[in-house]
Amino acid sequence: MTNQITINLDINGKTHALAVEPRVTLLDALREHLELTGTKKGCDQGQCGACTVHVDGRRVLSCLTLAVQAEGRSVTTIEGLSAPGADLHSVQSAFLEHDAFQCGYCTPGQIMSAVACIREGHAGSDEEIREYMSGNLCRCGAYPHIVEAVREAAKVMS
Amino acid sequence: MTIVDTRMKHGNASDGLLGGRLARVDGPAKITGAADYAMEYFPEGMVYAVIIDSTIASGRVVALDTAAAEACPGVLLVLTPDNALPIRTATGWMGEPPPPVPYDPLAREITFAGQHIAAVIAETFEQATAAAALVKATYEETTPISSFDDPRSGEGNPVDMMTMEWGDAEAALVTAPVQIEQEYRTPREYNVPIEPHGLIAHWEGDMLTLWEPSQWIDGMSRAYAEWFGIPFENVRMRSPYIGGGFGSKAFPTRYGAVAAIAAKMLDRPVKLAVTRPQTFTAFGGRPATRQTIALGATREGKLLSIVHKGANETSMNDVVVEPLGSVTSIMYATPNFSSRQNIVPVNTVKPGPLRAPGENPSAFGIECAIDELAYEVGIDPLDIRLLNYAEEDPHAKKPWSTRRLREAYAAGAEAFGWAKRSPGVRSMREGRQLVGYGVAAGTYPVRRTPGEAMVRILSNGTIEVASSSIDMGQGTYTILAQTAAEAIGVPVETVVVKLGDSSLPRAPVAGGSQLANLMTGAVHKAALAARDELIGLAINDPNSPFRDLQANTLTIEGGQISSPRDTGSALGIAEVMRRTGRERIEALRNTLPEELQDEKERFRNYTTISTMLSPTEGDYSLHSWCVHFVEVRVDADFGTVRVARMVSALDSGRLYNPKLAESQWKGGIIMGIGQALLEEGLVDPRNGHVMNNNLGDYLVPTNADIPDLQVISVGVPDTHASVLGGKAVGELAIVGVGPAIANAVYHATGIRVRDLPITLEKLI
Repeated sequence: MTNQITINLDINGKTHALAVEPRVTLLDALREHLELTGTKKGCDQGQCGACTVHVDGRRVLSCLTLAVQAEGRSVTTIEGLSAPGADLHSVQSAFLEHDAFQCGYCTPGQIMSAVACIREGHAGSDEEIREYMSGNLCRCGAYPHIVEAVREAAKVMS
Repeated sequence: MTIVDTRMKHGNASDGLLGGRLARVDGPAKITGAADYAMEYFPEGMVYAVIIDSTIASGRVVALDTAAAEACPGVLLVLTPDNALPIRTATGWMGEPPPPVPYDPLAREITFAGQHIAAVIAETFEQATAAAALVKATYEETTPISSFDDPRSGEGNPVDMMTMEWGDAEAALVTAPVQIEQEYRTPREYNVPIEPHGLIAHWEGDMLTLWEPSQWIDGMSRAYAEWFGIPFENVRMRSPYIGGGFGSKAFPTRYGAVAAIAAKMLDRPVKLAVTRPQTFTAFGGRPATRQTIALGATREGKLLSIVHKGANETSMNDVVVEPLGSVTSIMYATPNFSSRQNIVPVNTVKPGPLRAPGENPSAFGIECAIDELAYEVGIDPLDIRLLNYAEEDPHAKKPWSTRRLREAYAAGAEAFGWAKRSPGVRSMREGRQLVGYGVAAGTYPVRRTPGEAMVRILSNGTIEVASSSIDMGQGTYTILAQTAAEAIGVPVETVVVKLGDSSLPRAPVAGGSQLANLMTGAVHKAALAARDELIGLAINDPNSPFRDLQANTLTIEGGQISSPRDTGSALGIAEVMRRTGRERIEALRNTLPEELQDEKERFRNYTTISTMLSPTEGDYSLHSWCVHFVEVRVDADFGTVRVARMVSALDSGRLYNPKLAESQWKGGIIMGIGQALLEEGLVDPRNGHVMNNNLGDYLVPTNADIPDLQVISVGVPDTHASVLGGKAVGELAIVGVGPAIANAVYHATGIRVRDLPITLEKLI
């Protein structure tokens, strides 16, 4: 399989023309082809959440999404959450303040999930936050601090 | 990027000092996606390797059909034992000289399922993955010994150096008024960092650059150098951020050798990332363990004897010991003690270290056993621990440097409300939920290896700290910035810390919870030396405005240099550097003793663990301590266990940054909750496969599994343990969580589960 197709991806508000094989996932397109490595590969099989991005504002696992499926949609990654040099997104600031990460590898996915979780209206209680943030694994065990950060960011965002 | 962006948010200036709650200095990079982990570099011409593993656990590969794979578009090389560039065996981690035989990272003889047998290298990841699926192996299979439950594995081989004995344990046991004996078991457990392992290998002539997540840059670099017969200096390993390791990223690996061989053969940079399923067999996690503990005691619960026999799985050709007597031998005072350990070779990958190797399963045994004794003699599980409190190290017969375990029991019990516990099993209930309270203690030794650091004062007043040590989330970047800021007397924002690069001053392994203590010690020493030189310059340089003061010394505070007698004279560091025309002040210091200062010994110190001091070397026995109080809720009908709340009190000595230390403690506790309730490598007894080799089947805790956790620091500075008073942090808090939960489940249900994890079928 060598046939490449050209696709146009709208990522963080910018259009990227890309020649890839149809079997390339959105995750690998971001990381290996566009060098947008903020989105992480943790399992490549939809189990860990490290690759979470927003597609048309909804959280999506980019490892289970083909790059071609994202054509014509608007993709937001961690790099696009706050403009370079600008203020951090309130979820990002809350993660820093509450030490909601250690190694940092699951963190972009956690933050993208948290932004969506709050937007979805699923940050009403600690219990709800825990449930709706459970698709993102953190092996360093930052969960209690993630809950604190999401709770606080939800207040700021509302 | 190795230079950390120090844009940070923190409460007040004192947060920047050692002991302050400064937010992670590497935090901004991590929350914006700017932190580049090792496998996120793009050298020109990079190609992709995919590893192929054996599907049998025992036997040999008789043929590899690579034709179909080789015919695939984009495929550059199918690497097999037949065509791989030969490499040499490297020195072992203890410094043992290598045998003069080639090192074969791709196997013909198979001793475990998932052993690397070939690799495909192609222009793209997709091409390599597709072609790898077409490589056909033909095997001659023999029946594997899948685990130590296979009767053919036998009792294993005794490890004599693990034997510990005092008094006459067997005799004291049989005459003791109360005797209990049980077996405790833990399954294979896996590290599961969220960043999978892998590397990018890039040759330029005989210079090898490796971007590889590493807990031990100098140790791993040495292996690469020796494999390929090039000088150590020719290997550049870069690992600025590490997406978790927990023990699994400390040692050279076979896939690492494969990537470097392929890169050399193709003269192209090669990226090799093992898949998530491969992370269960490309390197080992904690081996399965079993241990029998017999306790002899008085009717009042005072210990008279402990007889302990343990065994752990090892791989067919390796000696791996998970020291099961490490906590058993020091937690309680007993006049008679015996501990022995066997290792049982089975067809598994060589087991590796996983958070508190030894202490973790050891504590599961003894901390469940002492709980059983408490019920047997009818006293409170907390009281029996105080009754048998070890006032000195019962094994080494040395005083503890500090042991704030009694304080931990008191603080934890108070915060938890232990007094509200009703003593009987199944005596606390809320609706359909059986409620149980459990307690267990833990400990982790203070290990010590000398370190090295460079501290530079630059002309613009920036302070640079450099070391080849690493930060995988423990907070090394942050606490080293705090150390240098405090020692020199500058705002922490002016300190830049560079880590994770073998071209920087040397460091030993980030393992055994030793790094924070040894590196703060080295940085403190180097920073004071740099400060002294700066003050000397300010006093003596003809162009310095301080020269005329004839001062003996000067003070530096908030980055301002002044005379203690005339604070109005203060000048910034950059201004003093400018006026004296100095480009930089540099201090490279190490904490090596005199006998290790020559180049050969220095190299040995950083590239092997042979110079690491044991916790009882010297006049004191050095350990961290902790206790966990747990409330569980067990569904009376379904047997599901939930941890409702936990309070842990911990003695890690002085905390260099409590905010980050608390995060590490909680992380250890959460991993312990996973170990207690979820984690179990399931091995197919027919073929030795790890059946649940993915994150949907090997369950680790999710956010919804974890309640609020309260951690309380009861430590005091312990300068016997380290220069600046800290003890072990990272591996401490997982120790004791499993037994605390098992004890709480027993209190809730009256069912004693002695084999982890505590899954519902064991309770209904």
